[in-house]
Amino acid sequence: MRALLLAHAMTTPLFHRKILCNFYLFCLLRHPLSLDTPSAIVRVECASWVAVLHVSNFSGVQGVREPQWTLAALRMTDGVAPQLDQRHKATAGEYAVGLVLEHTLDANYARNSYSDEDDNVSFVLPVLISKIEGVSLSHSDSTNKVQKEDMDIDDTLLDEKARRTRDLLASFYSPIPSASSNNPFSKHISPDDINSSSFQPDQYMKIMARKSNLEGLLQKHVEMVAEIKNLDTDLQMLVYENYNKFICATDTIKRMKSNILGMEENMEQLLEKIMSVQSRSDSVNTSLCENREHIEKMHRTCNLLRKVQFIYDLPDRLGKCIKSEAYADAVRFYIGSMPIFKAYGDSSFQDCKRASEEAIAIIVKNLQGKVFSDSESMQVRAEAAVLLKQLNFPVDYLKTKLLEKLELSLTDVQIIPEVMKNEYPSVHEAAINEFVEALRAFRVIFPDSEKQLVKLAQDLLTKLGSLPYNAKYFVIIEAYVMTRICSEDLLGVLRVIWNDVLRLVEVLEDISLSNNSLEATKNAVKLYIRSAFFHLMQDISDHLLKVLKRGGAEEYSLEVALDASIKAVYDGGRNVLLDIHKILDDNLEIVDKLRELIIDWVQQGYQNFFRELEVQFLSFLGRNNSSATQSHGLEGAQGDKAFPRLALDLAASFCRGSAGGYDYVLSFVPGVISQKFRAAGEKFLQLYINMRTQRISLLLKKRFATPNWVKHKEPREVHMCVDLFLQELKITGNEVKQILPQDLTKHRRADSNGSSASSRSNSFREEKEKLSRSNIQKGRSQQLLETHLAKLFKQKVEIFTKVEYTQESVVMTIVKLCLKSLQEYARLQTFNRSGFQQIQLDIQFLRTPLKEIVEDEAAMDFLLDEVIVAAVERCLDPIPLELPILDRLIQAKLAQHKEFDLISP
Amino acid sequence: MQAASSGIGYGLKYQARCISDVKADTDHTSFLAGTLSLKEENEVHLIRLSSSGTELFCEGLFSHPNEIWDLVSCPFDQRIFSTVYSNGETYGAAIWQIPELYGELNSPQLERITSLDTDSGKIKCILWWPSGRHDKLISINEENMYLWNLDVSKKTAQVQSQDSAGMLHKLSGGAWDPHDVSSVAATCESYLQFWDVRTMKKTISVECSHVCSVDYHPQKQHILVTAEYESGIHIWDLRKPKVPIQELPGHTHWTWTVKCNPEYDGMILSSGTDSTVNLWLASTNHDDLTTERLVDSSARWVDPLLNSYSDYEDSIYGLTWSSREPWIFASLSYDGRVRLQMTEMPDDHARSVVIDTYLCVKLNRGNSLVGNHLFSVVVNLRFQHVDFTLLSLGNKALYQLKEI
Repeated sequence: MRALLLAHAMTTPLFHRKILCNFYLFCLLRHPLSLDTPSAIVRVECASWVAVLHVSNFSGVQGVREPQWTLAALRMTDGVAPQLDQRHKATAGEYAVGLVLEHTLDANYARNSYSDEDDNVSFVLPVLISKIEGVSLSHSDSTNKVQKEDMDIDDTLLDEKARRTRDLLASFYSPIPSASSNNPFSKHISPDDINSSSFQPDQYMKIMARKSNLEGLLQKHVEMVAEIKNLDTDLQMLVYENYNKFICATDTIKRMKSNILGMEENMEQLLEKIMSVQSRSDSVNTSLCENREHIEKMHRTCNLLRKVQFIYDLPDRLGKCIKSEAYADAVRFYIGSMPIFKAYGDSSFQDCKRASEEAIAIIVKNLQGKVFSDSESMQVRAEAAVLLKQLNFPVDYLKTKLLEKLELSLTDVQIIPEVMKNEYPSVHEAAINEFVEALRAFRVIFPDSEKQLVKLAQDLLTKLGSLPYNAKYFVIIEAYVMTRICSEDLLGVLRVIWNDVLRLVEVLEDISLSNNSLEATKNAVKLYIRSAFFHLMQDISDHLLKVLKRGGAEEYSLEVALDASIKAVYDGGRNVLLDIHKILDDNLEIVDKLRELIIDWVQQGYQNFFRELEVQFLSFLGRNNSSATQSHGLEGAQGDKAFPRLALDLAASFCRGSAGGYDYVLSFVPGVISQKFRAAGEKFLQLYINMRTQRISLLLKKRFATPNWVKHKEPREVHMCVDLFLQELKITGNEVKQILPQDLTKHRRADSNGSSASSRSNSFREEKEKLSRSNIQKGRSQQLLETHLAKLFKQKVEIFTKVEYTQESVVMTIVKLCLKSLQEYARLQTFNRSGFQQIQLDIQFLRTPLKEIVEDEAAMDFLLDEVIVAAVERCLDPIPLELPILDRLIQAKLAQHKEFDLISP
Repeated sequence: MQAASSGIGYGLKYQARCISDVKADTDHTSFLAGTLSLKEENEVHLIRLSSSGTELFCEGLFSHPNEIWDLVSCPFDQRIFSTVYSNGETYGAAIWQIPELYGELNSPQLERITSLDTDSGKIKCILWWPSGRHDKLISINEENMYLWNLDVSKKTAQVQSQDSAGMLHKLSGGAWDPHDVSSVAATCESYLQFWDVRTMKKTISVECSHVCSVDYHPQKQHILVTAEYESGIHIWDLRKPKVPIQELPGHTHWTWTVKCNPEYDGMILSSGTDSTVNLWLASTNHDDLTTERLVDSSARWVDPLLNSYSDYEDSIYGLTWSSREPWIFASLSYDGRVRLQMTEMPDDHARSVVIDTYLCVKLNRGNSLVGNHLFSVVVNLRFQHVDFTLLSLGNKALYQLKEI
């Protein structure tokens, strides 16, 4: 049974504590003999006490006050009880309850504990009751209950002992004493269970008797007896062991008590001695007090006197300092005595103050001199400035004065780029050196003046600031750049400035300065590039204007002007490039930084330049157009003539330029530009052709409008209009020859084809003549039909083809247009026979000279024939001239021409 | 520009200079053409487009006593027309009437209503009152301009007023302003002279050299187009007569005639002595800033030349739009060939035209112009075979069309 209990207890977390309690209990039980003595009572007390301590400790640790622990303590005392009489029991119980109360400080708790397990602690009831009532009077009902139960106890006193022992063990070993009672199920199910609290022996016996036979009962009896014996011995063993331990503990406590006894006396002795020491030290202290105060007073007076002495000596001392130039000391002395002068300067130390102030004035003067003197070393000057500052001297005033001085010196540092080339190095170097030195000094003297200095330096460099506008470096440069300068000059100036800037930066340690100047340089270079292009543009337009003005005057001048303008464009462009190259090649730091930008600018500049050039061409075109149409003159036209060529050349040259790698960095968009120029050139060419044709057209119009063709007289000679026409063509030819190139390939081909072409045209002409002759006989409609047929069979001549940039093409176009006009004019008239013959004669005459001029004879012949056809169609009586007469008249004209040529070659 | 398909041809017997659209004939697309033959019997052809639209046939052939230098059909009576003729030495002008029952006669003679004979000068052209039935006529000869009062029924014409061109100036042609009927423009050698016909006084003149043909914009007042021998085509706004609002390059040789499309705004036809007819699409919207901006932004006017018809053998002097079917024009080259051409614009132009119309409708909002623009949409649809163009246009135009 005990093993079962133990096993049960093992499962609970409180197992270890129970083992401990069990151990103490055992100790008590092992020494039952000594319990009768008073010492035995003490032991019991101790045992209970230690047990309670443990219990309370454990429960304290646990944080839960478990009633079973206090109960366990009580039961321990109770366990000892069989050997004690009632009196002892009560004493022990009282003690234990006191302890429990003391530890738990909870009367209700204690009482509940007792009421729960009243029967176990009945021996302490009277004590308990009184104690509990002392703690809590209100719980009378529970006490009543206790009292009632008390009476029951008397009835069952006989069985009490056995039952108590059993219960004690059962409750001790079960984790929750109320568990068995709180478990009605288990109670119900096993009234015959020998281990349960609700075990009923009678019932058990009855069941046993009913269930088992005699042998079984006997066997059961033997088993039970053996079990009971075992339990008893076990119980005894446990109690003995516990008790043994208790005794040891009691012995230890007794020993401790005896040791403590002598301590009190020693302590009292110690106290007495300390008291006597204190009283003595007090007496010494009081006796020394007076003397000390006196000494302190004396000391103070002495100090004061020393100070007064110092102040009286101050003027002399200062004087000495001035003599030895130990200004620092002097200033220190003076400043040291300042508070006194301030306090008493008006009364007792008046003279003294005055004297020292005089001395200080001298010092200040000297110091000022030092600060301003350039001969003194920087260190000295800086020190002087610091001293002056200490003396509350208005340093700012000094500073401004010095700054003014610096600003004055700025004018010496001026750059005059024009002069720069010759005398610069020495003069400017010196000036800038001086300035830089001054700056450095200033910086040392006034360490906090950096901002002002930077501003000053910027003044020098850029537009900001108060200096007169034209005195800034970069303003000067910008102005300088606007004039025509070459890149070396610019570079020279830039180099100088950059050096200066570097030095300034070195002195001032301010990056913004160099940044600013970099910015300014950027502007300057940009400006330079722009102005370079501007000048280039100007040059070219000058040339063009010259061309315009002189255009009509002399023939050669056209060529010259043209060449000049082309050269201007070429050379100008190249020069600009070279210049910029120089800038780029130079490894000046500032330029290095700007390299990319410069390249960009130049490219931009070029593109703008070409664009502008084109615009200018176009505007020239417009201007000439209007002027030419107004005056019907050719002066403008001649000028115009130059442009297509110029534009063309430019286009070509830039095409070439881009192809040959004009410059490795400058890769602008030459394709677009040359295309533009080409277009412009075409426009010029077209304009030129238009003007030429218009003029001839006018001539022809007059020719056709003036005479009355219906009443025309017989032709006597070739009309002078033809001369005029040829003359115009000649002029045109000359102009074209000057400017446009010959188309070599075409020319050659024309030559080689010349004979065949002319033969074809000749044959055609003959045919035509035959035709026209036969026409006379045939009907009109038939004639028309035949001309139509002839036209159909003949290869259709492309009259209007694209103009090319060759002499031949231009002349041919003009001739074609004029002949077509001639045809149209003819169609508008009505001729009589003579009128027609006149036209025939004129056209016939035209053939030969035109052949010389014109490249495509076939087309020309065709057109001339067309004129004649037109005239035939519009003729009332189209009988052509007889060939001999025609020849004769033409010969006469030719002779006349030769004559004319001879007279005026 | 590639040459368009050669169109429908018709041959005159002789050389010819003039062709006129018969405006008054609302049932057929007909033209009148007169020959220019110095020695032969000259003819006036009444040419009609067959209903199938594929053939030109001769509806009537009438002999005309002299070679015809100018021929204009009467705007209110299809049987009446005017000619300017010459016998080689002298010039004259007359109003003619095509006889009724001309089809049944063997060789029908033209009825001369009246001749517009003046004392002097080489008569150049006759101008009819621009639209509708009116008794006023203008004849222009080299020196003078006459305003005639024509009475068809009485067969008389009287000079109502006249004015001289001034010394040293020779008039060559003219046009009557369809918007302001009191104004007539006449071409002079180096400028354009305007007359107010009510007072017969000169009003303004526009300086342009060698102008040979002038035409008013049929929809927009103040806009007029001139052709000049050598410097192409100019479009003028008469409110700003100093400079033309637009210049078109014209022809390689002389630009002889210029005609505005009677319905579609900005479509201009020109013919020249380089044997080509050019179709231009010009912007005349300069007074309409919004449209102009739209035009600029879309950059549609890069090449104003829509098409060039170059399939001719000789110079083209006669040119006219059909007023009945304004996508058709007739041209007459000197060798006597009439050619009827349906204008066909390239895809994107047709599209732009439709979009333009859409914009115009949108912008104008008013109803007055909608009719015209509807028409031009239809015109363009005819050009491009309706469905193709519209399908590629997207919802906007379709929607707009429905709305119209």
